[in-house]
Parts: sequence; structure tokens; C-alpha cells
Amino acid sequence: MNIIVCIKRVPETADADVIIGKSGKDIDKSGLAFDLNEWDSYAIEEAILLKEKLGGTVTVLSLGGEDSNESLRKCLAMGADDAIRLTDPAFEGSDGGVIAKILAGAIQKIPYDLVLTGTQAEDDGYGQVGVVLAELLGIPHAALVNRLEAQDKKVTIHRELEGGLEEVFEIDLPAVLTIQTGINEPRYVSIMGIRKVAKKEIKTFGTSDLNLKAEDVGLSGSDIQLEKIFLPPVGEGAEMLEGKPEEIASKVFDILKDKGGLA
Amino acid sequence: MDFELTSEQRDIQKAAREFIQGEYDKEKILEWEQTHTFPKEIWKKAAKLGFIGIHYPEEYGGQGYGVFENILIVEEFCRKDSGVGVALSLADFSSEVVLRFGTPEQKKKYLIPVAKGEFISGGAYTEPDHGSDITTMSTTALKQGDSFVINGTKTFITNGSLADFFIVLCQTDPNAKPPYRGQCTIIVEKGAKGLDATEIMPKMGIRMTSTAELSLSEVRVPLTHLLGEENKGFYQVLEFFDESRIEIAAQALGIAQGAFDRALDYAKQREQFGKKLVDFQITQHKLADMATKIETARLLTYKAAWNYDLKRIDPKLTSMAKMFAGRTAVEVADEAIQIFGGYGYITEYEVERFYRDAKITEIYEGTKEIQKNTIASALIGKLK
Amino acid sequence: MKEIIVLAEHRRGELRDVTWEMLSKGRQLAEGMGAEIGVALLGKGVGQLAEALKPKAHRVLLIEDDRLEVYNSETYEKVLTQLITERKPFLTLIGHTAMGMDFAPGLAAHLKMPLATDCIGIDAAGETLSLTRQLYGGKVNATVSFLKKGPHMVTVRSGAFPVVEKELLPGELVKLPSALTDEGLAKRFLQYVEAAVGEVDITQADILVSIGRGIKEADNIPMVKEFADAIGGTLSCSRPVVDKKWLPKDRQVGTSGKTVKPKVYIAIGISGAFQHIAGMKGAGTVIAINKDPKAPIFSAAQYGIVADLFKIVPILKDKVKELKQK
Repeated sequence: MNIIVCIKRVPETADADVIIGKSGKDIDKSGLAFDLNEWDSYAIEEAILLKEKLGGTVTVLSLGGEDSNESLRKCLAMGADDAIRLTDPAFEGSDGGVIAKILAGAIQKIPYDLVLTGTQAEDDGYGQVGVVLAELLGIPHAALVNRLEAQDKKVTIHRELEGGLEEVFEIDLPAVLTIQTGINEPRYVSIMGIRKVAKKEIKTFGTSDLNLKAEDVGLSGSDIQLEKIFLPPVGEGAEMLEGKPEEIASKVFDILKDKGGLA
Repeated sequence: MDFELTSEQRDIQKAAREFIQGEYDKEKILEWEQTHTFPKEIWKKAAKLGFIGIHYPEEYGGQGYGVFENILIVEEFCRKDSGVGVALSLADFSSEVVLRFGTPEQKKKYLIPVAKGEFISGGAYTEPDHGSDITTMSTTALKQGDSFVINGTKTFITNGSLADFFIVLCQTDPNAKPPYRGQCTIIVEKGAKGLDATEIMPKMGIRMTSTAELSLSEVRVPLTHLLGEENKGFYQVLEFFDESRIEIAAQALGIAQGAFDRALDYAKQREQFGKKLVDFQITQHKLADMATKIETARLLTYKAAWNYDLKRIDPKLTSMAKMFAGRTAVEVADEAIQIFGGYGYITEYEVERFYRDAKITEIYEGTKEIQKNTIASALIGKLK
Repeated sequence: MKEIIVLAEHRRGELRDVTWEMLSKGRQLAEGMGAEIGVALLGKGVGQLAEALKPKAHRVLLIEDDRLEVYNSETYEKVLTQLITERKPFLTLIGHTAMGMDFAPGLAAHLKMPLATDCIGIDAAGETLSLTRQLYGGKVNATVSFLKKGPHMVTVRSGAFPVVEKELLPGELVKLPSALTDEGLAKRFLQYVEAAVGEVDITQADILVSIGRGIKEADNIPMVKEFADAIGGTLSCSRPVVDKKWLPKDRQVGTSGKTVKPKVYIAIGISGAFQHIAGMKGAGTVIAINKDPKAPIFSAAQYGIVADLFKIVPILKDKVKELKQK
């Protein structure tokens, strides 16, 4: 089975103090560590697991500048066979729909049975690219996939719904699946993997390679644009319990007794 | 001239960071530290991923990288946890003597299992009476037929109770003048008759690493266990120190960085007198000093490793790196405890462990005083 | 008459809350621009749901078809393509839910209709829409605008808009033909699967002690469990703990886990992503413990403790035990 995985390199903000950058349109990313988008790490792992079971190849695609090579190399080191970076100054400002268009342009040049993406990106969280991609490629899809079994020419997948419910579908291949976290346990990168990658060339495709026009990509091809960003308004918030840990503990006990019926 | 790591080196650094981050488990670590337990599971996994013996050639189970890539891993491991980091970084201790001086057969026999995480290695140089001074050995290895018969005592032997084989520095020619021209390195395997290890414990730090006294009493090993040329043992060990001291510098660097990371985190959260610690200028200055020392130690250590891989062996630079990084580790961990205040003194907050683990880097593989001798001798010319 | 269409979301015979939230927001927008609000309902034998929807909209656009018995992105896309092409609504609102995320981007692309996903705010100045979204896991908000003229499509985050009670609307029932044929589907629904039910039902607990990413290691869980035991509470968690397989799925609170309504909910080391808050906002009293004073969980809590959980939880446990004995 030949699998294409679309990935993104994102800043790690979960444990970081986030500051709004000078442009007012993005956060200040200096000093932040970057990594493969969390959802994508599950997608690449799932692709490699399928390859290990069924054979075939895994090709990774990412849209971005040279920095994105780091995440592409990580996927190669995990076990992907090929990596292609889609890059062009004209791509700047592309929205989710345009990103899907660019990815579709590249995917059409590669033979494939299955396309995997993360369900969404940690940074902008549009959760849109994979499903649009399927539409542009004219193939079926499913989002929020948290279980995947491949048979010949079709896959059986579970979609994660609200409230712990899942729905099971059978989907004909080729198809696009957007992968939810928790579907597997992404592996560590090994030194053997890194060594293998060092000799690998990461190809790049630009607008002209993908038969796209400059006006159809970037901001000019996009449907939406970001105006500004701001810190979320602080809600009413909690009454903060302060003091020595023992005093706080006594207060918690009182609250529990008062509100929880603690005997 | 470029001070940046290559993309491959960055990948290795990141892989090491993600691995040790994933394996880090504070509760387990505190327990291992208390019970003097080697982190066997993590070591096995690390070897499987190629982190152990990364600097061996492929044919001997390694990954064909240099000392530089090895110390990037050591730094990351020690940064996340000083105890686990030191234990893993020393799992292949002294195997480099086999790598540099062994025959292809010896390398295959001993290095491949080390890289696979099947063998732990040890180097037995220090003796109770001599410490860092290895110019004279009381341990003797005398030829009898096709064997060496070894007698003597070695102390403070890293991996002493764990190692599957040791590189033992012995006096083979008791009449050599000066004595160090009559020394050999000889491989002694675990289980050899007459070889006994007694764990030295409890000890101040590096409690996940075994430190033992070895007693060798009429230990017979085949003559084929000799490493390299006869009577070159002393020089081999000195050459090994040129390499291993860079690794100890990297341990110290990682320990310093790890203590700093924790102190910075704490200073950002902790409030005193209505202000965050980081809002006090005194804390800011402490952090600035700590970071500057760490960066200096890093530059020295990286340069020493870089030179080594280019085969520009420079014992002076290596000693400077080890001495300075060791001092930095002790000073930064000390200051980190100070920033934590009373909590810093408590095991759970970890910086006290970093402090205890830091101290050894000023002692083993040549005390800081020995390093100064080396530096001075290179500066002034032969002192003797 | 200009129209805003809301897609009713339902599963297993029940309308989902996001439907009412979208109707409420949609109506406010419609009133502001002199438009009407319609609600599209796709399904099989959903007459009762249509009745329930009537008072909240000017019309219920009902499309019934055996093939719409369960949700499937393929059938939904086909039916809604026809509906939107014919009715040309000024704005279409769809939930940014497991269902909406699965088909809305494809539908919009198919219709070449500008789409903004996962919006938590929609403001209109005349016909110009300005949307609010969250970036970086909720650490910052963003204002987003459409570059191209409408009609537009917006997907809406569950729980982002309150349901405001207003006077009833006429709710004309408009039955529309289905665009579906017997043509085979490339994506076929097989069944629903419930997450395995464990020995503990967190939805029934009076006191929940919930852990998140801040717990760091699986081995730290017993420490919190001891505290939970001391107060007669049940252990639950946020998503990262389940993703790491430290606790089973049936302990998860949040959008993709359980919705809980305990008397007291103690969130320990949980930052408070909206998906988590959606699952516990019905709790009587929320106490949050987090080392980051800016953690969003504090906005959803009545009581907050800024502390290192590894330090405070054992003290809480000991203190509670001591006070209980008195």
C-alpha cells in the first residue's frame, strides 16, 4: 500500500508563555521550540505501521520553508521512504483551502492508495485541509479516525464522536483519512533512522511544478484572512485560595464539606 | 567557521531529547537513586535506538559518528536527569580503549554487545594507593605460559559490580624505569576466577551507577586479552582520557543545564514578598551568571570534541573543558538549590540530586587538580 | 427574503445542543440584517425533531430519505449541495463537531463557498462578517474575515454561543425532495460502537478528582488516587492521559469523552482546553489546581490553587484525613 502523509511543523506552545508578535497577526515565535504537529505524529506512525504490515511506500509532504525539513527528516527517520517539501514565496498567506489545493497538486503526481493527515494542527486548528483534499482529489474520506484496519482496496475505520461513542465505516480506496491522537503510540526516532535520512534528498516543488497559478495560491487565492490576534478576555475566574499549603488544604476540606456532602 | 550544529547533529540532539523526555519518570528515578539501581530498561531501549556506541564504526555495532555526536547525547541525557544520564553515558565506559587499540576480533567480541545493550564495560585504572596518579601500578600481570596472572586491587571502579568485562591497567614489567613504561591494558571478563567486586556504597551521588572495589587474586587470562602493544598501557589510557574527559565534560554540561532549567522554571513560578522570583534583580543576575558559565562550558566542550573528531588531539583543551564544565556543574547546581531555597534541599525537587551528581565530574577521570597539571604542562613545557 | 440556514445535528434520535446554540446565534444575526432563519433537518422518520425545531426558526427544511437514517459525509454533501444551491442562503451554519468536521470543509470546497471553521464569535456589520477563532490551543484569539463575497459557510464550536430564549417563530414545515439515488457509496456506515464500559461510571460520581497533562507520569497517578480515596472521590482525567494510555477511555471527561455533572470537580494539572471544559462545566463546584496562574481552567473554576500539584496533593490528602477524624 502506497501512503502519502501530509504534515506540518508547528511551534510548541502548550507549556510556553505566549506573547503577541509585532505584526499583531501572529505570536512571537522567537525562543519557542518547534516540532511535528502532534496529530501528524500519529498520522505518520499509522502510515509506517501499515507499511510494515502490508508493504509499499510512505511519502511525506509538507508545505513550508526550509525549517520544515526538520519535521520531514523526522518522519523519514521514523520510517517514511520519501519526503517532498512544497515551497514557493507565492504560497505565503494561503488559507486551509489553498493549502489543500497545493497538496492536491503534489499528490496527483504520486501514485497512492491512501492519504493520511492529522485531524488538525496545534497552531491554527482549522481542521479543514484533509477533508478539502479529498474533495479536490475526488476520493472518499473520513475525519477523526481513531482506529484503522486495511483490507484489500478498502479500509474499515472508527471515527471518534462526542461522548465516547464511535462510528464505524467501510471506505473504498483510495481515500483520505484525518487521524485523531491516541490511535497509536508514535515511536522514538532512532540514530539508525537519522543516519539513513542524512543521505536522503528532500525534493521541493513550487507553483510551476504543481501546475498552479500564482494568483490561485497565497492570500490572493484564499477565501479568508487573519486580521489580528489578541489575548482572550479573562473570564470571571476563580477565587484563588492562598496561604500555606496546610491552610489551603483546610479551605479545600471546608469547600468539600459544604458543596460535596463529604461526611 | 560556523558554530552551528549540522542538521544531522540537530536531529541527533532532538532524538536524544525526545527519548529521555519520554522515558523520564520522576517517581521511578527517585526510587532507583535511593536503591542504587542501574536504569536497565532505559539503557536497553537507548541501545536499541542506537544511542549507545554511536561513535563506534558500523562494523562494530555502532553508527559511525564521532565523539561530538556522542557527547550531544550525553548532554541531553544528563540534562533531563543527572543520575540516569551519567549511568547511561558510562554504560560503555572505557570500551573506547578496545575501539582504539583492540584487534578486529577483540572489537567484534566486546564492542558489538556493548552497542546492542547486552554488555556493560568497565575500566580499572585507579588503585587505593595512587588515585588519579596512574604512573605506577601495584596491580601486576605476569606472564605464565599462555596466560597473564593478575594480582592487585582496583578501587572506585565505574560499573564495578555490573560490567561484563574490564580493561585493567597492570604493571607487566615491575622493573621498568620509569614504571609507566612497563604497563599493559588487559581485558578481564566477568566471572573470571579470582575476580571479586565489592560495591562501594552509600555514596554522595551518581547512585544509579555502580562504583566498586575490584580485587584480583591470581586471575588468569589468555595472553590474547592484551590490548594493543605491550608496555604501552599507560599511554593508551592517557589517550583514552583525551576522549573520555570530553564525555565527562559533557556530563557536567548537561547536569549544569538541567539544574539551570529547573531553577529558571521555579523562579518564574515562585512568589516571595508579592513578586515572582524572576522579578528580583538578584535572581536575574544569578540566572545570567549561570547561563553564561554554561555557555562557556559548552563552547569549550564542543570545541574539544570537534578537535578530537578532526584528530587534532589537544590534551590541554580537553582538560580545560573537563575542569571548567565540572566547576560549572557544581556552581550552577549550587546556585539552583539557592534559588529553590528550602525546597532545593528536598530530594523531590531534584536540584539537590543534580548537585550531588555534579560533584563527581570534578573528581573522576582525573581530578580538577590533575587537569590543571595537564594544562600547565602544556603551557609551560615539560615539567619533568 | 435573505436566509440564514442552520444545519440541525442529531444522533440516535436526539438533537445535539450545538443545534440550539446555532439557532440562537443565527437568529440574532438574521434579525440584525433583516433576514430569516431556516433550519435544515436531514434524516429518516425525524418528524418529532422537526416539531421541536419549529418554534426556533422561520422554517424547517425537512429532507427525509431512508438513506439519511445515519450520518454519512457522502449523503450529507449531496443533499446539502442541492439545498444550498437552490436556496442560496446568505450564511450556512454547521457545528464544528465530529460530524461537521467530517463534511463541512468538503461541502464548502464542492460549492466553492468560503468557509471559516471552529468559530467562537460571529459579528456582522451589515453583510460583512467578522469571525473570532482560537489559535495555539486557545492561548490567543484571532479575528478572521472573508476575502470573497458570500454566500459564506461558518462552522461553530460547541458551547461557544449561549441559547437565548426568545418569542416563538412560525416554523413553517417545508418538505424537500432528497437528491439521493441508489448509486452506491464509497463510504458505508457499519455501526456505532460504545467506548468500553469499565467498572466505574464517572458520570454518576458526586466528587470527581480529575488529572491532566500536568501529572507527567503514569506512576504519579496513585498519589492522586490516594487523595481521591480520602475524600470519597472518583478518578477521572482529560484527553492527554487517555492518549498516553495511563487511564482507560471511560475515565475521560470532555467532548470526546464523558460529560459529567458531579457536585464537586477537582481539576489537577489540567490546563482547561475548551474540549475539556465542555465536559465538566455542569459541575456544581469546580476547584482547579495548576502551576500556571494563566491556565484557562481557572476561568471555569470557582476556586483556584496556583501550586505544584506534586507538592499540594499529598498535603491535601493528609489534611483531609486528619480533619475527617476530628
